[in-house]
Amino acid sequence: MTIQNKPLQRRGFLRGALATAVLLPVGGALASCAGGGGSTETSKAPAGEVDPTKNPFGLASTGALDAVIFKGGYGIDYVEFAGKILSKNFPDIDVKISPSTDIAQELQPRFAGGTPPDLIDNSGAKSIGFSTILDQLEDLQDVIDANNLEGTKISDTLFAGVLAPGTFDGKLAAINYVLTVYAWWYSASLFKENGWTVPTTWDEALALGAQAKEKGKYLFVWGKEAATYYLTMAIESAIKEGGDEVRLSLENLKPDCWSQPAMQEVLTALEKIVAAGYMMPGGSGTKFTAAQAAWSNDQEGLLYPSGSWIENEMKDQTKEGFEMTGAPVPVVSSSPKIDQKGVRSAGGEPFIVPSKGVNPAAGKELLRTMLSKEAATNFAKEKLAPTVVKGTVPADGFGSTALVSQTTMLENAGKNIFTWNFIDTYGMNADLLVPWNSFLDGKLDVAGLTSAMQKITDNVANDSSVKKIEVK
Amino acid sequence: MTQATNEVRSGSGVVATARRRRKKLTFDKVSFMAVFLGLPLVIYLVFVISPFAQAIYYSMTSWGGFDNNMPFVGLDNYVKLFNDDVFMLSVRNSITLAIFLPIVTVILSLVLATLVTIGGSSRGQIKGLKGAGFYRVISFFPYVIPAVVIGIIWAQIFDPRNGLLNGILTAVGLDGFKDYAWLGDARTAMIASMVVIVWGFVGFYMILFIAAIKGIPAETFEAARIDGAGRFRTAISITIPLIRDNIQTAYVYMGILALDAFVYMSVLNSTGGPENSTLVMSQKLFSTAFQKGQFGLACAMGVVLAAITLLFSALVFLVNKITGGSQDVSE
Repeated sequence: MTIQNKPLQRRGFLRGALATAVLLPVGGALASCAGGGGSTETSKAPAGEVDPTKNPFGLASTGALDAVIFKGGYGIDYVEFAGKILSKNFPDIDVKISPSTDIAQELQPRFAGGTPPDLIDNSGAKSIGFSTILDQLEDLQDVIDANNLEGTKISDTLFAGVLAPGTFDGKLAAINYVLTVYAWWYSASLFKENGWTVPTTWDEALALGAQAKEKGKYLFVWGKEAATYYLTMAIESAIKEGGDEVRLSLENLKPDCWSQPAMQEVLTALEKIVAAGYMMPGGSGTKFTAAQAAWSNDQEGLLYPSGSWIENEMKDQTKEGFEMTGAPVPVVSSSPKIDQKGVRSAGGEPFIVPSKGVNPAAGKELLRTMLSKEAATNFAKEKLAPTVVKGTVPADGFGSTALVSQTTMLENAGKNIFTWNFIDTYGMNADLLVPWNSFLDGKLDVAGLTSAMQKITDNVANDSSVKKIEVK
Repeated sequence: MTQATNEVRSGSGVVATARRRRKKLTFDKVSFMAVFLGLPLVIYLVFVISPFAQAIYYSMTSWGGFDNNMPFVGLDNYVKLFNDDVFMLSVRNSITLAIFLPIVTVILSLVLATLVTIGGSSRGQIKGLKGAGFYRVISFFPYVIPAVVIGIIWAQIFDPRNGLLNGILTAVGLDGFKDYAWLGDARTAMIASMVVIVWGFVGFYMILFIAAIKGIPAETFEAARIDGAGRFRTAISITIPLIRDNIQTAYVYMGILALDAFVYMSVLNSTGGPENSTLVMSQKLFSTAFQKGQFGLACAMGVVLAAITLLFSALVFLVNKITGGSQDVSE
């Protein structure tokens, strides 16, 4: 989920385009051959013996496993760890786990040619939009219905609500592996030193901004590629203020979704903060990692809204004794529809198994291995982030204050955990960045921002060629 | 160039001979044609022409890119494009680049090339400025650096808080530039990006022009000097007419690069810049294809980009011809 600011590789794109152009007719010809050859290919019978604990997907004892994993903030070693366990259980399977920083570009020719890998971590800024490949993905219900390596049914080991983001039209197309909590993050030591408290309403935030200014600091920092982190924060705050209908209106791209009262109140509050000069200036021309370092290393800003990957992302650029801690974003009034302690939490790193892969059973088996207690605990320990598997983080959070605060936030939120998908589903982030940079820069007012965002969502909503996914 | 006219004149003769000889196709000739004409032609057709044709066909489908389902939609994609404000803005930005980048780069590199070849002392042999070799080497440096690195370096220079540029400007007392976001303000983002591209290419075109100028016989310059022409007059009346073809080629190349500009623009402002002021067509094409999964629409953008590029080249050739480029002076 971390932003990958890797410069786009045009050569690779051209090569890919060329390869596609060459592959397509071939792929098409192959596809028509397969179509004529009969349906034996489509109804794959389990090749191996089905065993509910050892081999629930009937994986053949020989063959290959081809997995392509997004290499972002979390690396790929956690999948390799699971791959080693799989190799132990199935010694004759040839396990190949390849990294990719550009899933969409790299795998587009393989999807179009009908030879996708068996397991993909479809993540990063350049992931494949789910609406484009939904029909080609396996329903992963049988994975969570299966037992994990320790013998417990997988669905019983997962946190509540983590499967929702991977479910499209009732089909579990993706299992999100990493649990992300969205919050605003601050230095507990700095707050303690100055006697500040984390605001729970926007009025308090404005007051804190004034106190920060006295110390020559800013309330917020932002970078140009990550201006929409503030959009995430605003949406979360608006949903808490106005209740679930705010979320549904946005998810279904309603024609007035950005003009809802709760949304407007939050945006107006943010506008006040911008107008008061509590944002670090120049964000629209600053690289997001540089802006984040100004917060985590130079402590020029007090708060930063982000997902919980921020600790891992800024690991090398965080001041010693920073004590990074998360707190739920504020609300407008003292009586919001959803408690202020509610948080947006969702699984990140969506793993998918394409149906047309050579060995989908192997993809599922690797996923099942990753969801085992052993592999999930390894992930939490190595990456200082929880997976969707419960009970893998000890009380001391492996010494990480951020990890401990994530657990605390989830506990305090109780039932009030929610998320939304529409921005990623329809690939709107890049478009939304533009008005948000202007807004945070003070060049666009709330009315201008609202109409700009409405135009972006309306364009998608009115485009008949884009497949809509209704959210209830 | 006069040689060319000779060839054209004798063209009918060549055709006639070919017609006469067609009857005697020896194995030698057939195999020669197969290997040296047939094979390259097949490769060209398969790897160059057919992707073009395919892209044009795809541009008339609503293909998503990740499957084989390509419903034919006719010209819908083009209608959609011309009604898309953001795409039209990116077309405008690309055209702006195509207008200004070649002019600025070519003029600058021409000036520099003149200085290091004929701009030196007016006594004795025709030569460049003192230390011309040194200038030549340093001005070529930027071209050696990969575009991505150039983008990263300049993004740092333009950084509002820690950047070199604002550091210098505030140090000389221009406090208005404190925290000024060069790449984050719609008024300056495009100009700042153009400066970077020009900086990256001036050295290369300078070398190109130096080579061309060195190809002019020294006597021509000496004659001009004896006639009393100064350095500026020599450059305008001797150098430029004599290396006109090189300038035209440089202009077209730089224009094509400007119409693409993908690497520079996406490194400097990966998201299209403030108010989309630096969004170029190739960036829009890329995000439409891979982030939104609309390959049909992206192919239509590609077709529009190709059409604009062709139009640009045609325009440059036309202008050159109208201004008297075909009159040959280089013999």
